[in-house]
Amino acid sequence: MDRRCFIKTSALLGGSLAVSGWLRPDSLADASASISTYTGNMPENMIFSACQQCNTQCGIKVKIKDGQVAKIDGNPFSPWTMTPQLPYATPMAEAASFDASLCPKGYAGIQTLYDPYRIVKVLKRAGKRGENRWKSIPFEQAVAEVVAGGDLFGEGHVDGLNAIIACRDPKIADALQKDAADVAAKKLTLEEFKAKQAVNLKYLIDPDHPDLGLKNNQFCLNWGRLKGGRSELIRRFTDFSCGSYNYHGHTTVCQGSLYFSGKAMSDQFVEGKFTDGSKFYWQGDTGNAEFLLFVGASPFEANYGPPLRAGKITRLQHEGVKVAVVDPRCSKAASRAWKWLPNKPDGVGALAQAMIRWIIENKRFDERYLKNANKAAAKADNEPTWSQACWLVKLDGSGKPGPYLRGSDLGGTPEKRPKKDGKGDWDFDPFVCLDEAGNPVLFDPNDDKTVAEGQLLWSGEPSGVPAKTVLQIYWEEASAKPLAEWCKLAGLSEVDVVEVAREFTSHGKRAVADLHRGVSQHTNGFYNVVAWYTVNTLIGNHDWMGGLSKATNFNYDGASPGKPYDCTAHPAKLKGWGVSIIRHQTAYDKSTLFSGYPAKRVWYPFCSDIYQEVIPSAGDGYPYPLKCLMLYMGTPVYSLPAGHEIAKILADPKKIPLFITSDITVGETSIFADYVFPDVTYLERWEFVGSHPSMTPKVGAIRQPAAAPLTDSCTVYGQQMPICLESMLLGLAEKMGLAGFGENAFGPGRHLRHMDDLYLPMCANMAYGDKADGSEKIPAADKTEMDIFLAARKHLPATVFDAKRWEALVGPELWPSVVAMLNRGGRFQAYDKAYKDGQLVNKYGKMVGLYFENMVKAKDSMTGKAYLPYGGYLPSPLDCTGKPLDDAAAGYDLTMITYKAVTQTKSRTSGDYWLQAPYPENFVELAAADAARLGFKAGDAVKIVSASNTEGVWDLGPFGKKFMIGKVRILEGLRPGVTAFSLGHGHWAYGAGQWQIDGQAITPDPRRATGVHGNAAMRVDPVLKNTCLVDKVGGSAVFYQTQVKLVKV
Amino acid sequence: MSPSLPSEDLLVRMHRELARALAKDPDKVKWVMVIDLARCIGCHACAVACVSENKLPPGVVYRPVMEEEIGVYPNVRRRFLPRPCMQCENPPCVAVCPVTATWKNKQGVTVIDYDRCIGCRYCLTACPYGARCSDFAGFYTNATAEADGLLLGRKAAAKGYEDAATPEYGKAWPPRGHGSPIGNARKCHFCQHRLAVGQLPSCVTSCIGRATVFGDANDPASYVRECMGSPRVFRLKEEQGTQPNVYYLA
Repeated sequence: MDRRCFIKTSALLGGSLAVSGWLRPDSLADASASISTYTGNMPENMIFSACQQCNTQCGIKVKIKDGQVAKIDGNPFSPWTMTPQLPYATPMAEAASFDASLCPKGYAGIQTLYDPYRIVKVLKRAGKRGENRWKSIPFEQAVAEVVAGGDLFGEGHVDGLNAIIACRDPKIADALQKDAADVAAKKLTLEEFKAKQAVNLKYLIDPDHPDLGLKNNQFCLNWGRLKGGRSELIRRFTDFSCGSYNYHGHTTVCQGSLYFSGKAMSDQFVEGKFTDGSKFYWQGDTGNAEFLLFVGASPFEANYGPPLRAGKITRLQHEGVKVAVVDPRCSKAASRAWKWLPNKPDGVGALAQAMIRWIIENKRFDERYLKNANKAAAKADNEPTWSQACWLVKLDGSGKPGPYLRGSDLGGTPEKRPKKDGKGDWDFDPFVCLDEAGNPVLFDPNDDKTVAEGQLLWSGEPSGVPAKTVLQIYWEEASAKPLAEWCKLAGLSEVDVVEVAREFTSHGKRAVADLHRGVSQHTNGFYNVVAWYTVNTLIGNHDWMGGLSKATNFNYDGASPGKPYDCTAHPAKLKGWGVSIIRHQTAYDKSTLFSGYPAKRVWYPFCSDIYQEVIPSAGDGYPYPLKCLMLYMGTPVYSLPAGHEIAKILADPKKIPLFITSDITVGETSIFADYVFPDVTYLERWEFVGSHPSMTPKVGAIRQPAAAPLTDSCTVYGQQMPICLESMLLGLAEKMGLAGFGENAFGPGRHLRHMDDLYLPMCANMAYGDKADGSEKIPAADKTEMDIFLAARKHLPATVFDAKRWEALVGPELWPSVVAMLNRGGRFQAYDKAYKDGQLVNKYGKMVGLYFENMVKAKDSMTGKAYLPYGGYLPSPLDCTGKPLDDAAAGYDLTMITYKAVTQTKSRTSGDYWLQAPYPENFVELAAADAARLGFKAGDAVKIVSASNTEGVWDLGPFGKKFMIGKVRILEGLRPGVTAFSLGHGHWAYGAGQWQIDGQAITPDPRRATGVHGNAAMRVDPVLKNTCLVDKVGGSAVFYQTQVKLVKV
Repeated sequence: MSPSLPSEDLLVRMHRELARALAKDPDKVKWVMVIDLARCIGCHACAVACVSENKLPPGVVYRPVMEEEIGVYPNVRRRFLPRPCMQCENPPCVAVCPVTATWKNKQGVTVIDYDRCIGCRYCLTACPYGARCSDFAGFYTNATAEADGLLLGRKAAAKGYEDAATPEYGKAWPPRGHGSPIGNARKCHFCQHRLAVGQLPSCVTSCIGRATVFGDANDPASYVRECMGSPRVFRLKEEQGTQPNVYYLA
């Protein structure tokens, strides 16, 4: 429809129609019906924001009636909920009448907001850890106790934050960091160090191991779901103001190996090193592919996710596009697909090798793209990216690939080049490929002038040095087994695999393999993901319409020059340093803790945010004990594989003496906390929600207060706020007197005393846009829009909304732009502006790494061996020392997998009762063939047991035992040999079980306890003993490689 | 497939066509729905959006989605079938009402006057599709913790999403718990209150797969008319002679 036509027709809409005959007496007996009481179409009754019932973060419109949230619908300005979304300039009155679509969880968000089991006051534990007995205490008391410490629970002294955050002086911290690095690098002896830093040794965790860092590191802030805004606040508190290096997310429980494959593959060659990779991943440009291959991805039920992607897929299918789904379970997407490939869960890597083999063998790869060795070659071919396919790699004596072949290997001399920062030179030693005649071509991957192209499949000895191309390495790996054998390992028919490979290579660059957790959450997850991304790279689909895409966001932190407000500014910024509790991005063999192999626990040089490692490491006191753990919006006990081991550690106050959570209610992990600070829900607060790789337009979606806050109020820095994460951190900062909070926190005249002081300037940055000249500034709201903005917020109290306060923080010049943006729930590039000439406008636009030299040089902390540096095939599952596990041989005959039903989000939707009508409980799902073999009938109660949980129990210490017993559901749509359960059910806390506050028993709700949660059956690593199986490279917690037995009860 | 980008979301087209219908003489409009089962992804968003829109209590669902697995491994399909009220041309539910509390309106939608309904449930029995429910005065928050002052608690939760009156028919019903529609028969009405202000029914706007098509069957240029002409079209229980105004595409 053209825009004019839309306005014309829409101008007819609005409240007036309700009295024009459409609800007149003939439709109902009562004449009063002619005046409609319905207000869900009026802009002054709605606030546009962002959902967080899962992590898709769809745009929502929150409709308010009589001060309460009456309904949530989809935001039509948001490219999450419509394709294409409404033009940004559409007047609010029109957008208000236009509801876009959400998934069922999105509609049920009202029940997350108005959950009877929400906590509203700070709770302090009144019994043993895990008993779920509490005393409600004033906010001020909680803050004072956490800061000061003392005998807080009658169990002896506990250090408070004031004592833990020992060093507050950035100069001392920096000097210690520098000297500690010299000790680790053996430039300084320990004795010299101790003499030099004698007065400051008291700040160190262990003066004999200065590289562990400051005592401040014994405070750790760990989070589950966290987005922009809150993310900067947490970083400011933990890193910049408390100087702790221990601020860790939860990435590895989701899809760590996907993110960290992306990081490795996006490393660029910078001043002699492969570095600067981003923690990110690619997805398919879902709406424009001609063939979609979903691998371990479930876009109709989860996987960022139904509103964002499913509509695009059904439209393509309607137009005849084929979709194939690789999944042991016939997911809803698989059930609609052209082809369902029910793979063996651990066969997903073998399938990638089969694809690579067939594509290379049949010359179905994009030769023109792959031959490009550098930027100039890519440019000449109108390719946004280039790969390392033709680069030559040196081989060691045994023929094993090592570092890249360089000019110096062929007798050349490295060239001195000045460093970007002006501090000296670096040696440029060129890379090598071979031209068609077999002559070496020396090149710089970043050179955009001299084209370098090379042969793809080559192995030999240029100038006497044995070498082969990267693609040759992949070919030899993939051709090491016949296609039939790969297919057998994958558990799939060769005919199907070939058909899929042919289809995949029949659409030029408009085909894509879109990956998710089914690929990454294995002990070899990193290699599975790299191999699958290599399948994509073979057709060169990065940055092409219908190929691989990445997320692009508008900036809001204002750190870059020209932006209105630098929200990263800090008057006395500490920078946490040392070895983190999860030993991330650091090498064991280069630390002073090195004492041969294996290390006590795994070190993770190539990833971060290793969720399953935080609490077990603290439990082992390795590399040092934690004194205080603060957990925000996370529930590792419920969410992690083998979460029962986490519970054991948390139940013992000696392991982590102070444990604080920020939670909506008392969930499965919060029951072990010492203090639970109530938080507000996503409908009452701010966040800059980011984007997803399949979202091709550049976006800046915003979550903002839409409902009045339901927690009690508190006062911090003299300001009234609801009790929530922000007030908790501000209150602690105030009590501790931390720099970077309160007066002049961002510099003279810019304070941080209220959350608005952070979030409104961030809004201004986003509304200003990313062009320094302001040419991207959002057009100002007019009088009508301003009136709508104010009217829509009339139900919000001054603790969260005050137009004058907001305007003052943003400044009069940007205020009308901010209002226009907040009215729309953010800013969103038009869909058609995200594409140009068959390519994506928001490009990755760099080298796509396929062979990781850094991994050749690094040593695995458990074996002392180098890492495999490319996407090869590794049999799995393995324990952390590389030993194969074979529980199947011990009679555990079923591989257990998990999935998400569209109605649940792991841990936090069990109180959304509307979602129970379609799916009141989950099941232990079994293939019909297995049910027949085992003699199970539908509805039989069975217990899930595994080699590491032979009792099949959640042993929750003082809370009691909960057996993993569920009802059998028999399916044809499940690969025989596999059992599945959907996540989100089987709660025992979160309002589902025994609970006491101030001596009063809280009536539990059995509806929240239905079904089974089988995570405790997931395999514990036999070496680590308190952690699930892990991918040592990509960090993933392993979800799909546990062998279980089902026992009838 | 088309090499160009998608230029218009189906929701935009249907929204525009709705405005066109609303500009007509109301007596010349005929509301119909077509559900394309090939585009239904079984997400249940329509069912829940409808519950939220119409403030339906436990046990009352206007648009459930049936799920069924078909086939033998590995040749398996799952069928999802949303089932709103069929808005029959010959509605068996209307004839059995002893108090004429339910009838077909001019646009073909079977409506209920809650003030006249006596809750006899004859209509529930008469409907061959099970499209009518009885409102047994339930609250989702019943039996949750009271815990006044300690937690948010039942009362505040109920105030949040259960106490307010339904917006159905745009009428000023009493707050929930104080009379109609408690005790009445309840059913899908194509969101009469939304249509009246130019909004598509909630099951249509919530349909992620864009499987639910709605519009004026008397508008030859409408998408819904186009879909009604599909060779894949069928209706449920045609043999009953009810002549549903909800069509399905196989």
